[in-house]
Amino acid sequence: MLEVLSPGLSSIVVDAGRRAGTDLGVPAGGACDPLALQMLERLVDGEPGTTAALEMTLTGATFTVRETCVVALTGADMEAHVPEERRDLSPGACSLVRAGTTLRFGAAVDGARTYLSMAGGLDVPLVMGSRSTCLAGGFGGVDGRALRTGDRLRSLRRGDVGLAGRRWSARQPGVVPGAQPVRLRIVPGPHRKRFAPGMLDRLAHALWTVSSRSDRVGLMLDGPPLGLAAAGDLLSLPMVWGAIQVPADGQPICLLTDHQTVGGYPVPAVVASVDRSSLGQLRPGDSVRFEVVSTGDARALMLDAQAAFAGALAAMSRDEVGEALA
Amino acid sequence: MIEPYGDEALLITLGESIDEAINDRVHWLSKMIRSRGRADGPFGTPVPAYASLLVPFDPTRVNVETATTEIGSLLMALPALVPTEGSQQPTPIEIGVHYGDADGPDLAAVAEQTGLSPGQVVEAHSSTVYRVFMLGFMPGFAYLGTLPAGISVPRRASPRARVPAGSVAIAERQTAVYPSVTPGGWQIIGWTDAPLWDPNRAPPSLLASGQRVRFLPLTD
Repeated sequence: MLEVLSPGLSSIVVDAGRRAGTDLGVPAGGACDPLALQMLERLVDGEPGTTAALEMTLTGATFTVRETCVVALTGADMEAHVPEERRDLSPGACSLVRAGTTLRFGAAVDGARTYLSMAGGLDVPLVMGSRSTCLAGGFGGVDGRALRTGDRLRSLRRGDVGLAGRRWSARQPGVVPGAQPVRLRIVPGPHRKRFAPGMLDRLAHALWTVSSRSDRVGLMLDGPPLGLAAAGDLLSLPMVWGAIQVPADGQPICLLTDHQTVGGYPVPAVVASVDRSSLGQLRPGDSVRFEVVSTGDARALMLDAQAAFAGALAAMSRDEVGEALA
Repeated sequence: MIEPYGDEALLITLGESIDEAINDRVHWLSKMIRSRGRADGPFGTPVPAYASLLVPFDPTRVNVETATTEIGSLLMALPALVPTEGSQQPTPIEIGVHYGDADGPDLAAVAEQTGLSPGQVVEAHSSTVYRVFMLGFMPGFAYLGTLPAGISVPRRASPRARVPAGSVAIAERQTAVYPSVTPGGWQIIGWTDAPLWDPNRAPPSLLASGQRVRFLPLTD
């Protein structure tokens, strides 16, 4: 069991998201980097879809280890370490942490979001079929809010330390964007024709910078204003993860998992589902370039990524000796 | 019109206005997709809005062309005039409201803007049967229409940082109850203790799309 000594910038409990309730105004929520969460589900032997993990953004938390347990980490590298043992914890692996030690995360060195889970997943209640925190509704996760000092994280399989040493192979399929600008594939959206011709080209030719005014609802993108006098506001319509909304000021907002279920800004393009994890790992100041692909190509890319994930899963090695006896 | 919305959803647009007949068709189609949807089927929970419907699909099970064809055949089967909620007008859900004073801090301003007395605003608001056009903005937030033109007012010039849960508010031709505390820009004319939203209850929302609602003035 882990007790929060300092919660980090914004640390919330997530799973794969809430499927029920999008028709009731409940954001789907869930991990902004779905691939990192999937890797974690496999590492901790959790139930697919409802395995809960802690998503830490930009600056991680510090915990006191109250009971010896296994923790697993994926996503961005926050240089997790146990100062008392002068030991670093490997990303993409399950590690044993001992009662009485400290588990400390720093700032993300590559990407924005780090995921932590424990054997079987974190023990928080299912609300409307999901363990994800719904910040807009104040429910799910830990009391519907970000972690605070003194909160405790428990494993669904308390005392199970058999997973220590399990790790993804070096060729793990996780995405932590490295080279700038980060390339994101987009497919044409429903309102592309409401804009002046060439809208998608202008989106694709510009270099965009992720603004610091970004959160789990959406990434604000700074760049050349997109001329769009013709677009205007719309009758509110459903929104999707990855939708690029363009409000009247011409500065696009790319929606992430906590986006509202409906919205009224026109959507000229949507980020391909295969690039959602890249989207979730963008940090303020990162530069982004869009590349237009067809819906069919986007699907093919996503199926390829799933096949790569299955391959990496098969190659996952389990080193029983590992860190447990180190 | 059916079109791809990203690579794992379809957007079905049935009109461009806030219109009861169009909205009926949206909810009818949503219900048909839900009733056909199996746990192992390719379609996820449809999300209805005023005149459009989002239908998520699992791209590992179905491609966008097949999904479009399947939803298209449902759309073809949709009758020209959809009967409202099984032909009979549903009994409106009644929501008791404390209007004005501290419960409705914008009532006086609304009266001033519309040239009515506060009592006339309350009378107009509570004598209309509204329909739930859609839910959105936040969990359990139901967009109710159509507000009588005589009490239609714009949103507040500056939104409130904190609107209390249960606030009954109006903006343009719509009214709503804020289900939880949130920042918000609608004009607050009253307050209700009706249990609008409880994520641990089934169903979590008191109001669902397509339902009728009427507000009852309460005297303390």
